[in-house]
Amino acid sequence: MSWLKRLVNTVRSGRVEREIRRELEFHVAERADELRDSGLSAEEAERRARMKLGNPLLQAERTRDMDVALWADGIARNLRHAARSLGRTPGFALTVVATLALGIGANTAVFGALDAVLLRPLPFPDADRLVRLSQVQQTRSESMIAPVRLEEWNRLNSTFSAISGYGVEDVSETSGDLPERVRRAVVTQRLLEVWGVAPALGRGFSEQEHRFGGPAAALVSDRYWRSRLASTPDVLSRSVRIGNASVPIVGVMPPSFRFPDRDVDVWFPSPVDAPNAQSRHNTWYTGVGRLRPGVTLEQARADLSAVQARLAQQFPDPDRKIGVDLRPLKQDLVGGVGRTLWLLFGAVSLLLLIACTNIAALFVARGAARRPEIALRLSLGASRAAVAGLVLAETLLLALVGGALGLLVAGFATAAFRALGTELPRMDEVVVNGRILLYCSLSTLGVALVSGLAPAVRAMREDAGLASGESGRTQVSGGQRLQWVLVGGQVALSVTLLTGAGLLVRSFHALARVEPGFEKSGVLTFRMSGSWSETGEYPALVARVDRTIDTLRALPGVEGAATTGWALPGTPTQWESSFAVMEAGGDADRRIVTDLRVVSPEYFATMRIPLLQGERCERRSVDSRGAPSGQGFDLTVNRAFAVRHLSDFPSAVGLHLQAFGETALKPGRIVGVVGDAREQGIDRVPVPVVYVCLSAPGPTPFFLVRTSGDPLAVVGAVRARMKELEPQRSVYDIAVLDERIDGAYALRRLLTLLLVAFSLSALSLASVGLYGTLSYAVGLRRREVGLRMALGALRADIVRQFLGQGLRVVGLACAGGVGLALALRRVVAGLLYGVSATDAATLLGVVAMVAVVAALASLVPALRAARLDPMRVLRES
Amino acid sequence: MGSPRPKNDVLQGTLSLLVLKTLASNKRRHGYAITSHIQRVSEDLLRVEEGSLYPALHRMEQMGLLRSEWGVTEKNREARFYSLTATGRRQLALEEESWNRLTEGVGRVLRYA
Repeated sequence: MSWLKRLVNTVRSGRVEREIRRELEFHVAERADELRDSGLSAEEAERRARMKLGNPLLQAERTRDMDVALWADGIARNLRHAARSLGRTPGFALTVVATLALGIGANTAVFGALDAVLLRPLPFPDADRLVRLSQVQQTRSESMIAPVRLEEWNRLNSTFSAISGYGVEDVSETSGDLPERVRRAVVTQRLLEVWGVAPALGRGFSEQEHRFGGPAAALVSDRYWRSRLASTPDVLSRSVRIGNASVPIVGVMPPSFRFPDRDVDVWFPSPVDAPNAQSRHNTWYTGVGRLRPGVTLEQARADLSAVQARLAQQFPDPDRKIGVDLRPLKQDLVGGVGRTLWLLFGAVSLLLLIACTNIAALFVARGAARRPEIALRLSLGASRAAVAGLVLAETLLLALVGGALGLLVAGFATAAFRALGTELPRMDEVVVNGRILLYCSLSTLGVALVSGLAPAVRAMREDAGLASGESGRTQVSGGQRLQWVLVGGQVALSVTLLTGAGLLVRSFHALARVEPGFEKSGVLTFRMSGSWSETGEYPALVARVDRTIDTLRALPGVEGAATTGWALPGTPTQWESSFAVMEAGGDADRRIVTDLRVVSPEYFATMRIPLLQGERCERRSVDSRGAPSGQGFDLTVNRAFAVRHLSDFPSAVGLHLQAFGETALKPGRIVGVVGDAREQGIDRVPVPVVYVCLSAPGPTPFFLVRTSGDPLAVVGAVRARMKELEPQRSVYDIAVLDERIDGAYALRRLLTLLLVAFSLSALSLASVGLYGTLSYAVGLRRREVGLRMALGALRADIVRQFLGQGLRVVGLACAGGVGLALALRRVVAGLLYGVSATDAATLLGVVAMVAVVAALASLVPALRAARLDPMRVLRES
Repeated sequence: MGSPRPKNDVLQGTLSLLVLKTLASNKRRHGYAITSHIQRVSEDLLRVEEGSLYPALHRMEQMGLLRSEWGVTEKNREARFYSLTATGRRQLALEEESWNRLTEGVGRVLRYA
């Protein structure tokens, strides 16, 4: 109860005051009565009674202090006092607030990203029960699931409430004047059941609509409804037009539903009972399932593996070779971004720590200057806790202002993140919300404590005896030692941060110097919409793509054109397949697992990858499965493949490779050997590659156009020509290859930029700390310096003394920072290219840079010390 | 008449002991009654400064040793009455004991020094 009373007292101190006055009035009245009884006149009695009590106002004041000063009012008063005291040194206060605003702001923004991407569950009900399902085969990294198998998994398992699958493709929507690309997901039954999401308008797909030959139906995204259909209320009587088919819209999904990716605008049912869906060799769907409540991932894995084992008995070919892989959906979506975000968060937290240390050092210096004041307070009876509270109030006040501004900074930084990080998963979910606010407030309090603790403890240890005689002029040691430790810590942390940044920068330089083995500039890339239904008639599909290549080559300013089936050169991808060399007897032990790329014959000339041996592959007429009619594919291998796998043979050209487990396909013949190119990624050493000669393994290969000038200059011509050629298709995903390759490293570049910015800020904070501390030391030792100079010390000695003091600390700190960097080397190791995490040149460079900056920061106060006029200094005292 | 007896102002720190003791014997008293009680019982040896009494009362209330309420005196004046809490009683026992130890110690020193 008493805390409540105190609170009431603080809020309503007017009432308290009135009560105290009433109480004292009563006392006076009683006393006056007594005096009157002893014979005094009424007036005299009253006067004496009042006199005896002393000044009632003062009395009321003192009494009230007892009530409220103890608690909440104490804090408020401390804050008021702190505000006044800081107001006298606005420069100091401003510096600290700005530092904290940036520190807390950056920290909060990175935490926001971390929270949205890694910590928060996916935006679906019970999202932790969502699981990514893949089928794994020894022979390839293909992970898509055959429709029949997906249905069997769903029917036979006992740990999932539902399993569903989907595929994504780009198609042309032709209801407008120009065909427009829309991203379509084809989904099997139970998709909405798995997600636990219902359409915002209309309904999901019916049983009939999932049947082959059943009525057509489409779900559209909220975005599609708003932007393409102008939010029309009669959306359920509209339709989307894909190619020549008009499909009625049966529902609109809620705005939060953006799956499989944020670009998907239309969902179509995919009938698993279609005739072409019955092959167990199909690899169509990405699987996703919802675990039953209480089921662990391990249980589900065991269950589904058992199901697959049963299928393997029933259908040895191909199910015997197929395994099951389960992963939490979130982990699958977020992927490798987690490490980068944690690294960034670590760096930005180090920076905040440095800022706190800096502020602590400043406060210790300030505290030393205020020693007489503090000693006076102590000798007047202030408790040590009260004095410490005073110091803490100052840091708290600054942290509060800094935190509030920091939130503003975080808001801007978050917007910048969203703009810069469009490639990153879940970036659109990064918003300033309650959790971020909470984090910001907590870190603000943390900052106040961390930066206030050292000075507060120091203030508490202050000796009241100091107040009178010694003014602190000769007191050098204690405060300074703590200050130097703090400064050393800052320098050490800066060295660590700079090392990380330096390593990343060097990685980028190394990356830029790499010879990729192909010419990456001057190439325009784009895709054209197509539907997987086209793969039912391969000859037409290949003919269409070949025709497009020929048309592109004929355009003015174009030197060559080609397609690549799955992945662009120079961007990270992993596509493996396994082969056996027929000439080696084709036995399974000599199976070669290698990277597979599907490219058109013009690919090597267009990418300027040299042909070393043999000849380029040729276009062939294909059968309905996409294989050349009556023979195997033409294959090209790179030198790495020839050296690693075919060195037993006099020549690679003419050998035959059998795709493992694809006995229906005739063995392919190697027609040529090309140079090694860094197609897996500029940062990866070329691996053995087999190129299959086919211009269209799927409906939407990448087109590559080599131009004589700026690739973007031909965009208009390409679009116009494509519209003439294929009026029903849309051109999309237009970009310059260079930029695409750079884009694959956008996250790393962002990380590098931020880390460089953080570490430079850290270094400047540390130099300010060093400069301030040394200046302060010079101020404290003026007398000593004056005396020594009067006794004949040279100015150079004085400079050496102070510079030495600063550099000694810096030297120790550098050693500590390098040690910390080495201890943390595994954090960055995975992000480096062409430089080791313990790279001596980087470490030396960082140490040299820090040493120079530190020397400059120390030199100024040291020179100032040497310029002291000894006579004036000595006369001052 | 003998030599005038010195009138002691209440020693710093003993005030709370006196207040606690005063309130222990009676149910509740107002501030004025507390001063007059201490003065009367000590036969005018001890005198409580009003200037320190009220701050002390409020402090003790904050510490939870006392509780207070407004009431009316026999003379029909409004006054604030103080009474002892359970914590106050325990505190009284503690302070009495330490006081006894102090006086005993001081007494011994005076006898033998």
